[in-house]
Amino acid sequence: MRREAPRAAVWFGLALVAGMSTHATVSAADGPPQTVAEAVAIAAELAKATGTSGQAALAAQADRIAGISADWIVPCLAAFADATPAGGNWLRSGIERAVERAGDSLSADALTAVVAERKQPARVRTLAFGWLKDRDPSRAAGLLDGMLDDPALDLRREAVEKKLVAVTAAGETAQKATHRECLAAARDVDQIERIAAWLSEHGEKVNVAEVLGFVRNWRVSEEFDNAKGVGFAKAYPPEAALPARPETGQWKDVASADKHGAIDLNAAIATKKGVLAYAVADVVMPRSGPAEVRIGSPCAVAVWVNGKPAMAHEIYHASEAIDQYVATADFREGTNTVMVKCCQNEQTEPWAADWKFQLRVCDPLGAPLATQPAHEKGPE
Amino acid sequence: MTTRRLLMVVSVMLWCVAAVAADWPEFLGPRGRGAATDQAIRTRWSEADGIAWKVDLPGRGASSPIVVGDLVVVTASSGASQDQLHIIAFDKATGRTVWHRRFWATGRTLAHPTSAVAAGTPASDGKRIVALYSSCDLFCVDLAGRLLWQRNLAVEHPRSGNDVGMGSSPRIVDGTAVVQIDCQGDAFALGVDAATGEDRWIVPREKRASWSSPLPLTTPEHGVCVLLQNPRGLNLHRVSDGKTVWSWKGECSAIPMTTESGSMLHVPADGIACVSPTEADAKPAWKSTKLSCGIASPLAWGDSVACINRAGVLCIGDTANGQLRGQIRLAGSFWASPILAGNVILAANKEGKTFLISTDGEPKIIAENELPGTFTATPAVADGNVYLRSETVLWKVAAP
Repeated sequence: MRREAPRAAVWFGLALVAGMSTHATVSAADGPPQTVAEAVAIAAELAKATGTSGQAALAAQADRIAGISADWIVPCLAAFADATPAGGNWLRSGIERAVERAGDSLSADALTAVVAERKQPARVRTLAFGWLKDRDPSRAAGLLDGMLDDPALDLRREAVEKKLVAVTAAGETAQKATHRECLAAARDVDQIERIAAWLSEHGEKVNVAEVLGFVRNWRVSEEFDNAKGVGFAKAYPPEAALPARPETGQWKDVASADKHGAIDLNAAIATKKGVLAYAVADVVMPRSGPAEVRIGSPCAVAVWVNGKPAMAHEIYHASEAIDQYVATADFREGTNTVMVKCCQNEQTEPWAADWKFQLRVCDPLGAPLATQPAHEKGPE
Repeated sequence: MTTRRLLMVVSVMLWCVAAVAADWPEFLGPRGRGAATDQAIRTRWSEADGIAWKVDLPGRGASSPIVVGDLVVVTASSGASQDQLHIIAFDKATGRTVWHRRFWATGRTLAHPTSAVAAGTPASDGKRIVALYSSCDLFCVDLAGRLLWQRNLAVEHPRSGNDVGMGSSPRIVDGTAVVQIDCQGDAFALGVDAATGEDRWIVPREKRASWSSPLPLTTPEHGVCVLLQNPRGLNLHRVSDGKTVWSWKGECSAIPMTTESGSMLHVPADGIACVSPTEADAKPAWKSTKLSCGIASPLAWGDSVACINRAGVLCIGDTANGQLRGQIRLAGSFWASPILAGNVILAANKEGKTFLISTDGEPKIIAENELPGTFTATPAVADGNVYLRSETVLWKVAAP
């Protein structure tokens, strides 16, 4: 799952730079706004849209945005900074119609400035990049050269792709260096795996689980009853006294050798149905503060960080993916305890056999943050 | 024929006449019956022959194209997270893009590789188009591509969604847009005023995944309704207020959806069960395990019902008693549902081969037409043209 970078505290202020007020009165009249300030105010109003009633009025306001001149498009983008989920789409529906109308009269210079300003929300820069690419592909491609560490992950992905393509004609040494650089920059799992595969084919072994930062060393509990799903909401001893103390009771050390850091509970405990187990790991964080706990599992899962619940998903065998469920939790600098409750149901289909999970702790862009204590290093 | 059945037949006929004959406005065509019996189509085509136009799509999808007036409308999703949602309208005659709307997904966008975020087929009432994505985002645009309203259902119901990929297609029935969100979390069916996007009704559903779509159904007793299916049975809801007016408990498939002909329902289960939508929990009139559905939904027309099983065998049975009339082995796997054009069945396999099968007497393969790509979307037929959508390409096969 890809996550957008947190919004910059200081929002890109083209509207303010242009000396405009975002508090202009929004006219109820039909037709395009009469001033850029009015256009910006309409955009801000659209971006705040919530609820299900009164959508005809929002559609009318989106029509007004669709009618703005090319020069007013970029100032209106500022409204995306605080957009609600619905508001973002309302505003986008109007703005993109304006962009279509504008054609080549939409300034490539203005779009380039938007793309280059990293303090803007990733989705705005990505939109602007797409519009620039439609108008001047080579200029857009040129912008990618400095984007390997870009907080807009779609742009970073394109930058990685461009760099990999550009080096294909170079010698093997240069190609390896570029692939290593791109491996460090990439955040999308498919891209990381492609780069790792290339490096492995060329003699440089890459541990994908380590690159992705999966927590691979756990202490796993004995099994507990989950017949008819009763165990998901039941607090068995490991969660009855939090944080769990894996020194007491029946626990075993389990290390993952899987390239995606999966802890296979069928292998660790037994292939069973209607059961659940807990897994506890110590992770070391470089600093205190919020971080994203990202777990993937085909089973129902719950996660605690330092004894506090972080998330719970009672979903069985509806797919599985890296970073399937994401929650933000508070960590302290140094050692933290993460506990997972992983529940297997009683489905008998072959595709419902898996009882496993994988977990990592990341920043909002997907860079792994947690390490494990030296004595809990994962398998090489 | 009883008076009740006569009324039902007349009602359905009137509805069909009301629909624009040349449109294919929703999943499985007018009223979701999968039949265009008045349209003759070309027998043979290939990349080099019989193609009016083809266009690359801006993303991937498993949704079917729909045809509304001069437009062919397709949905897709793109981006590394598949969170860019597209509705694209092409000029039916030329394939030129008339408009292209993009939105951000507001719900989850995980989907199994065989499915897609754009898996549900959009629906149109001739004035507007509604599109539902696996992210539980429901958008309504007019025929000029102007956003009329949206519902971010995963925001409203945070535990809705299915990471396999929601595949249910919306319907517009009697001015109400109906969506079926069947999943293990917040499961519900919703009737939305198609003009405003506001709720007309919402009914909770069992927390159980299914990939079935609502089926419009009019009965003499209850008027205009939609039939909803999940693995535990069927529920008929009055479209005006969502009230459950009939239920049937029994095993149903999770993916292929029930079809209807002659006032009887043909329910994909372990085979096909023939059920009357008037008697609550009635014993099926017949059940045939020889008529087995894999992923594709069954097709009913006249006194025949056809289905394609997991082995790729097309079976045709008698709707009166379920007896097998004939069968023929096709090839490949079938995710797209069979449809009827004229008196020919079109069955498009995943590997790109579309079989044309005769329906007179013992089924026979008339032609096998191959196009490149992966095809899980059910074809559309309008004005004798066939629209085939691979994962990333839309093809128009010219009328004969």
